[in-house]
Amino acid sequence: MSSGVPVSSTRAALILATFLGGLVMGVAAYALTDKGVDANPYASLPKIAEPAAAAEVARDLLNDDPKALSNQLDMTVLQQLQTAIDPLVDIRSIKFVGAVEKNGRVLAAYVAGGRISDGTDIVRGFVLRLTGDQIVGVN
Amino acid sequence: MFGLNLVPPLVRTAMMMLLLGGLVGYVGTAFTTTLVVDSGILGGGGESSEAHRYMIALLQRESDNLARLGPSSDVVSRALQQQNVSQQPQDVKPLTVTYLGGVSSGRISVQIYAVEVQASGGQYQFLPFSLTLIGGRVQRVE
Repeated sequence: MSSGVPVSSTRAALILATFLGGLVMGVAAYALTDKGVDANPYASLPKIAEPAAAAEVARDLLNDDPKALSNQLDMTVLQQLQTAIDPLVDIRSIKFVGAVEKNGRVLAAYVAGGRISDGTDIVRGFVLRLTGDQIVGVN
Repeated sequence: MFGLNLVPPLVRTAMMMLLLGGLVGYVGTAFTTTLVVDSGILGGGGESSEAHRYMIALLQRESDNLARLGPSSDVVSRALQQQNVSQQPQDVKPLTVTYLGGVSSGRISVQIYAVEVQASGGQYQFLPFSLTLIGGRVQRVE
């Protein structure tokens, strides 16, 4: 295909088709060779729905409602929550990411997004520990 | 060159186009996938392979992998980490490891796991681990 020589439409179509064929093969090759996440060598627990008590705490955090939080959690748990979300000072979003239960103990995981004191946006993960309907700790 | 002159020009061009298309497809997909995952455009709710490998290395006390997947640090810090790992009780047996979920925001990603462990004395613990990753490296474990 030298410059100045007209390329027939059939030939141009063939070249384009082979290029597109190669493109598809390249994408397929990446999909086949991309290992993704390795298999988990351990067993996993089934996920459960968001516990109501945990959802209420998440709502209070998002609504910037210290009164509701102080009514719902004791001082020890509040201090653990403070440590868990530190250094966030302005919570803009809270996402429930999952929960599991074993022998009556529940772990409910959340990710909070917001700003720290210097205005930087960050995300922080925290986990509420529940026994029954009671929040007993925060990690 | 390489006997390509013996191949008819049309076949040669087709081969080159196929090769070029394959290369563009492979590199383009790899680049786009990395960009989308790192930017968190799609919410980034999926498990990160780096976080998964770090959790497994943590539970199996693979200090070399922990150092490779964790934050860049000086040689003394890495020596301390190796010592910490080797001093952990050897009889702790992980029972289950459950990926709870995660969120990505820009280059920062938070991935949360629930782990059940059993010590030889029968002591049972049900623990959460929250991993914060920046640019694919674990920077914080809580």
